[in-house]
Amino acid sequence: MSTDNPPRFIHYLGAFAAGGLITLMLLTNGTLAQYGTLLFSSWVPHLTGTVLAILILLTVRPARVAPKRPPLWAYLGGVSGGLTVIATSAAMNSALALSGTIALGLAGQIVFSLFADAKGLFGMAQRMPGWRDFAGLALIAAGALILIFYGSAP
Amino acid sequence: MSLFIILAIGAGLLVGLSRQLNGRLALSTNAWESSFWNHIVGLAFVSLIALLAGGLFGGAPLDAPWWAYLGGPIGVLFIAAGSWAINRIGAAQTAMLIIAGQMISGVAIDMAMGVQGQLWARMLGVALILGGMWVTRTAKAKR
Repeated sequence: MSTDNPPRFIHYLGAFAAGGLITLMLLTNGTLAQYGTLLFSSWVPHLTGTVLAILILLTVRPARVAPKRPPLWAYLGGVSGGLTVIATSAAMNSALALSGTIALGLAGQIVFSLFADAKGLFGMAQRMPGWRDFAGLALIAAGALILIFYGSAP
Repeated sequence: MSLFIILAIGAGLLVGLSRQLNGRLALSTNAWESSFWNHIVGLAFVSLIALLAGGLFGGAPLDAPWWAYLGGPIGVLFIAAGSWAINRIGAAQTAMLIIAGQMISGVAIDMAMGVQGQLWARMLGVALILGGMWVTRTAKAKR
């Protein structure tokens, strides 16, 4: 299992770079939503993403890492992602505005990930977060809040 | 108001849930296949909502700049990266590094595009995030 490997710098760098991709997606999908409907700005990237993913699977042909089939519920990540769009857009248009919605969303994400690690949720590796993880989280959350509320003029 | 607070926190929980599910799928398949299923299942779900709610093609979406249509390909890479990272460094470290990357790249793009903002807040925010990454990077998670 891949989780037997100790974490390496490239894993951290990959996750950090993935965060940069969110910024680009906020730019593309947010711009699309200014011209079309909010639903359209979620529907289009799902459609073009599906097409590209098929092309990648056909050309790269990555092997399945385990012979055993995954449980059916593991295929539902896309539903959760679709619901996220709806919940976010509803909250964004309330008094919370974009900054409040993002800040509370980050809090929800952090709480869920700590819970998931501590439980080894869905049969994934169990990791008890140590005090350094909490200290790191607190610093990142503080920095994120400052950027969200004071980083750019409204 | 409290309904919207629950919705906003719920959105964050759903992001974590989605990454955990995609990561579990990648554990049995691989990161690219996990990203494929995330997109095609999400497409079916959003299409269903569009059929029920209507108004998918409202506005003037064809007037949008061409690059606004590139979110999908970026998303494929994003989901694959998340599914790859979560099985190697865990959910919490994946989440905090993605948040850190999102925040710091956001500041960089804001400044590159000339978005007005307070310099002290940007510098302090980035410094705290880098500090947080350094603290976590040196952590040895108990297994």
